[in-house]
Amino acid sequence: MSAAAATAAGGAEPPVVILPDRDRAVADRPAREDDHDLSERRARASQSFWTAVVGVPAVFSVLRLGVEAGGELQTTLLLVANVGPVNLLAGFLTTAARLLSTVLVAVFAFGAVLGVSVDRMPSPGLRRPLFARWMEITPAWFVAASFLLALVTWPLLYLPLLVPAFVAAFQLTPERLHERPGPRVLIVAALLGVYAWLLLPTLRDAWRQGESLALVLLVVPPLLALAIAGPLPGAVVRPLAPITQIAVLAMLVWAALPVISTPVLPLTVTTVAADSGATQDVRGHVVTTDDVNMVILQERGGVRYVPVEQVRGQVLCPSEEELPRHRLRIRDFHVEDSLLEGLGRRVRPVHRIDAACRAVG
Amino acid sequence: MNDAVARARVRSIATTLAVALTLTLAAAAGCDSRREPELPSVQEKLRESHIYGQPRLRIGVATNEPLMGELRNGVHVGFDVEIARYIAASLGYQGDDRIEFVPVSTEDRVPALQGGVVDLVVSSFSITEERKKLVSFAGPYFVTTQEVMVPTRLKDNIRTIEDLRDPKYKICTSGGSTTEAELEKHQVKALVVKDVGDCVEGIRKGRYDAVSSDEAILAGFLAQYPTEFQIVDMPFGTSELLGIGVPIGDPALRDLVAFFLQKSYQQGRDGLSSPWLTAYNRTLGPWLRAEKRQPQPLDVPKLVDFDDKAPRR
Repeated sequence: MSAAAATAAGGAEPPVVILPDRDRAVADRPAREDDHDLSERRARASQSFWTAVVGVPAVFSVLRLGVEAGGELQTTLLLVANVGPVNLLAGFLTTAARLLSTVLVAVFAFGAVLGVSVDRMPSPGLRRPLFARWMEITPAWFVAASFLLALVTWPLLYLPLLVPAFVAAFQLTPERLHERPGPRVLIVAALLGVYAWLLLPTLRDAWRQGESLALVLLVVPPLLALAIAGPLPGAVVRPLAPITQIAVLAMLVWAALPVISTPVLPLTVTTVAADSGATQDVRGHVVTTDDVNMVILQERGGVRYVPVEQVRGQVLCPSEEELPRHRLRIRDFHVEDSLLEGLGRRVRPVHRIDAACRAVG
Repeated sequence: MNDAVARARVRSIATTLAVALTLTLAAAAGCDSRREPELPSVQEKLRESHIYGQPRLRIGVATNEPLMGELRNGVHVGFDVEIARYIAASLGYQGDDRIEFVPVSTEDRVPALQGGVVDLVVSSFSITEERKKLVSFAGPYFVTTQEVMVPTRLKDNIRTIEDLRDPKYKICTSGGSTTEAELEKHQVKALVVKDVGDCVEGIRKGRYDAVSSDEAILAGFLAQYPTEFQIVDMPFGTSELLGIGVPIGDPALRDLVAFFLQKSYQQGRDGLSSPWLTAYNRTLGPWLRAEKRQPQPLDVPKLVDFDDKAPRR
């Protein structure tokens, strides 16, 4: 990575490292040529970026509507007619923020690792990997914002993974903490100590419950962060560059499937009175309500028009995808909650599941 | 120089390992985020139970046990009834239009469950080993003791179990109850009628001299006729654990009922107002001599529910 690029990407001076003589040639490329090339690439990237920002959510949202409608054309059209674009976009961002931040974090972390590795490689002929080029032209504030988004949207259990990712993206070696080894060790020990103190009760619970994966996910990543910054050997980088690109793409597709199938509208149970006086619960998503009918997209499929005067009650219900998989808490924050969700639960701590949500499946 | 190169090599190997491990962990986290919960959920148990999809929940209750289960002006009231309403609401049957209260007498409780007449029985149903062979129990939700209630005119004459054995006194109890067996164990000859209410009516009409039953049931009648009766504390030596009866063939329903009793127990233990406490204070509370707390339910399954992520403190 050139000095200018490193400053742009990292937002700070690059780490001081001693380059072998043969690598100096790479670092001493003509600065003007690099600047011109970089600004042109930035301009192009900016265009593509904004196209993606507008285009991807739009395409995803329409795809989601199709899935939500159960693949029925008429139902999709009904949804399109009734779900506003702003609601759709806001709904998309609510459910996709986690995926979006994960992809960005992965790209930036890989980009930085590959970038720094290619720069140190003996044969400079290798074309810079795609992610490294992306990382170079991305402003540091955007990289930081992506990590911030991940910080507030990732489940707490996976949050420790953000530490090595952050260290890799900004190539923060322990040497940056202090120039002398003694204080450096002390600072690292203090940071790890605070981390351990924060997590100790959770780790004990995880041990008791035999949750080995949770234990590893909470303990190992901060330790990996100590070693993750720095160049990879050439033998690793050559195959890694294309593999990571495919892996991130595969991850995107794999993680996008649940996002596409996440409902656009909230799940409700509507109590409807029949002519005989008995009541019936209709489980589904309310598409719209007018003076005559309430239009409900039933959970099991099909649209039902319920006359408004027959509606006796309506409750909001959680969906089964929201059921927790772990029984661990970090300082009373559930490990599957993100920081945002955890804070939200503190604002509205009482959560009551209405009886009607249980009765019908 | 050689030293620097060697250090750089070690460093790059460490970095490679760190990157590889981070990727492995990230992949593991990705798989973990998509797996199904290991523990069964409340919803799954509901789907397994025989009540799933039923429009109404049929609950067997007593109709002539004041404070516990009573039919007053066409409305079912009492501690058992309140507990039954809480369990029903937790199972998805909120409101009396979703519950069908079926009156069951003491001796009909087991047959009603076995015959599928009711889905649950909440009617001062003591958990015993004998009954456990015929029906399942969730609970206990109340611990009571066996007591004797005498009319005020005999309060000085009947004080001990020895007095109960005196053939001149006619002791009454309800058939099919644990009290019947307990009296037999103490060689007390008792006249067995259908319900405790019949005993009380009998005493008032002069047919019997004392009635023995659970403290909670007797407290109900005492509340009804406070000047006519008195409860005599006798050391029968056993405590009665009241549970909710469930058909033996429906372990999922038993698990659910136990789970919701546990939920109420935990709320009470955390110092919050629990459904149990509300039911107790509204019914039995003012009439019992010593204050009671909800006992910890036994054999509670670990289930996953939607509110598991809610803050506990």
